[in-house]
Amino acid sequence: METFKLLKWFKEYGWRHFIALIFVTFAIYPILFVATNSVADFANLTNSKLIPDGFTLKHYKLLSSNPLVPYYKWLFNTYKVAFIAAVFNVFLGTLAAYAFSRLQFKGRRASLLTLVIVQMFPSFLAFVAIYLLFFQISDVAPFMGLGTHLGLILVYLGGSIGFNSWLIKGFMDTISPSLDEAAKVDGATEYQIFAKIIAPLARPILIVIFVITFIGIYSDYILAAIFLKDKNLWTVAVGINTVFIDDFNADWGVIAASSVIAATPIAALFIFFQKQITGGLTAGSVKG
Amino acid sequence: MPMKWILPGMIFMLSFVVFPALYNSYVSFTNWSTGHILTKTQAIKILEDRVYTPEDQKGVEFDMYILQDSNLDFYYVANLDTNNILFGKAVVDDEIFTSSYATHEPSLFVNNEFITPDGYYLLSGKEQIANSTSLQDLSLIIDKNTRIQLYKISVFGASSGRLSSTSQLYTYDEVNDAIFNNASKISCPVVKDNFECEGKEIEPGWRVFVGGDNYRKLFSSQRVRGPLGVVTKWTFQFAFFSVLLCFAVGLFLSMILNKDDMKFKKIYRAVFILPYAIPAFVSVLVWKGLLNPDYGVINTWLGPIYELLDIEPVKWLKTKESARSAVLLVNTWLGFPYMFLITTGALQSIPRELIEAAKVDGASGVQSFWRITFPLLMVSISPLLIGSFAFNFNNFTLIFLLSGGGPPIIGSEVAVGWTDILISFTYKLAISGGRGNLFGLASSVTIIIFFIVLLISAISFRYTKRLERIYGNI
Repeated sequence: METFKLLKWFKEYGWRHFIALIFVTFAIYPILFVATNSVADFANLTNSKLIPDGFTLKHYKLLSSNPLVPYYKWLFNTYKVAFIAAVFNVFLGTLAAYAFSRLQFKGRRASLLTLVIVQMFPSFLAFVAIYLLFFQISDVAPFMGLGTHLGLILVYLGGSIGFNSWLIKGFMDTISPSLDEAAKVDGATEYQIFAKIIAPLARPILIVIFVITFIGIYSDYILAAIFLKDKNLWTVAVGINTVFIDDFNADWGVIAASSVIAATPIAALFIFFQKQITGGLTAGSVKG
Repeated sequence: MPMKWILPGMIFMLSFVVFPALYNSYVSFTNWSTGHILTKTQAIKILEDRVYTPEDQKGVEFDMYILQDSNLDFYYVANLDTNNILFGKAVVDDEIFTSSYATHEPSLFVNNEFITPDGYYLLSGKEQIANSTSLQDLSLIIDKNTRIQLYKISVFGASSGRLSSTSQLYTYDEVNDAIFNNASKISCPVVKDNFECEGKEIEPGWRVFVGGDNYRKLFSSQRVRGPLGVVTKWTFQFAFFSVLLCFAVGLFLSMILNKDDMKFKKIYRAVFILPYAIPAFVSVLVWKGLLNPDYGVINTWLGPIYELLDIEPVKWLKTKESARSAVLLVNTWLGFPYMFLITTGALQSIPRELIEAAKVDGASGVQSFWRITFPLLMVSISPLLIGSFAFNFNNFTLIFLLSGGGPPIIGSEVAVGWTDILISFTYKLAISGGRGNLFGLASSVTIIIFFIVLLISAISFRYTKRLERIYGNI
């Protein structure tokens, strides 16, 4: 009787758990492996194991002590560039979205359609032209040319602003027009309606779009790689690639530590906003 | 007035997205590449700055001392006479116009004995011989037309130098559009994008409009067309199989968990999302470590299997097949959570009654899946699948960081590997291939990608009613 019950359970649920557990292993193994190795004593790749023998923070300390690998500087650069670009991105995107959603003007449809068409092409596709363009800008305005953070920020700004305006506009369309009409009757100006009514109501989507843009820029490799030549200006994505190449086996502990630091805050941010990021915005397929 | 709202953002989009796209098309019709980076005016200016020393201008001999500083740069000291002791950095011809002139330093000699200044190292005769190839090209600049060169190296006592005056090597002749070589008295005419002296190209050349040459090269030059074909085919295969594998795994898992009273469902879901939450550049590099053929965990795990089957361990990422499998494996890990998320959502939105009704009518589980669930799923999921295809079509980060496009395809004229997709191939052509920067050729490949992405988008618009939705929103 007991075996029969067990068999029934397996037929109904057990096999599901079995397969789910296989994929749980697949999904989580690399993550756990790196996390434990980053605090393991004697972690070179050859003798690394999932559950390490000793606990140490030395790999994290080593990351800050090697002047040839200014890891924390890269981390700071990445946060700086991604934060500035994302803030301006959302700000300028919101302004444009307000006009598209609330103001009637000639060429509105045409400009909206242009936005959609331009956003079909990932901005990095034209990286050769971007490279040559900024190569020449370096001659006239070195402060924003190739190899500068400002230049890189400008490129990131242009890259996703159209898409973001489109998403924000979609959200603003759902805010009832009766609100701003009432305000207009009371004598509110265009600017006041934007600043006091529409923008505050759109705040949830603005936060989500800020997070998406921030993560997107943080994870970019190709543009940062062609833009930044000076080691001290690199972002994490560019720098970490060189750490990995140096000596895979011997530096494994340090490599693991650098991975944990680069990934944890972003993963936490993503998981916190996961519902909003994947829920409302799947149409845009931001990642994957 | 709406422009004040829209323009600030759109300026950036126009300058850094739209304009580069147009500029990219322009570049694809030029010969822009290493050796042809400059404009013609810039190239002529560089050539006119070149100098030479006529034979009859080589003058008196005198003692010379050769020093090196901590950067290993060479410095010359020339003892013309007690009143003229010249010191300065020795430079190559191209630096002549940017370097400063030699200075008078009488203090370097005390009682006719040379005193090595602090921070410098005096080269012995033997060391001078060892460095003679570099020293041959160096000069100490005295003024615009006069310089000092090393003439004879002496192992005993001081080497000797000679004073020489220089003249401009090339003069541009506007009437004939040629440069005249003042040393050999030859006129060098323009041939396409270089000046040519008796059949020899003079570097640097300049960039010119070359019409469809780059495109012709892509499609007709055997040693470029072959690799381009391989890369294009693999790009489609890679994008297709990535979507297929991620979708299959994602859907399978969401079906398994789509059971109401199943335990631990929330935990499973949370874990399945994890790979998606980590920035791809981190996970790709970690996978590269796991796949390392010599030290990596994957081969350690597979060790018993290799022994059982008595085969050589797989050289992950080192052979064509293993590299392609590895790229797909890692991309499945990266991408299945997304598919899991969207199929979970889509499954939950399919009305239960439909499945129940089919069951009542006697349909088996398999039948009701393929006849009802799957078609309904595809309606909402297919635009996302096309989007995912387009994303993977240009998944530079994965390819470049995992395999670097390798292993290399032997015998190709351009740097290219078996796992290169079009965008990473372009990157190698333009930036990192180690065979110069072929900006023009790379841009023409980009144009091909543009058209393919356009095609994918057109298909997506055509079959998914996305355009209608967009129109509805406008």
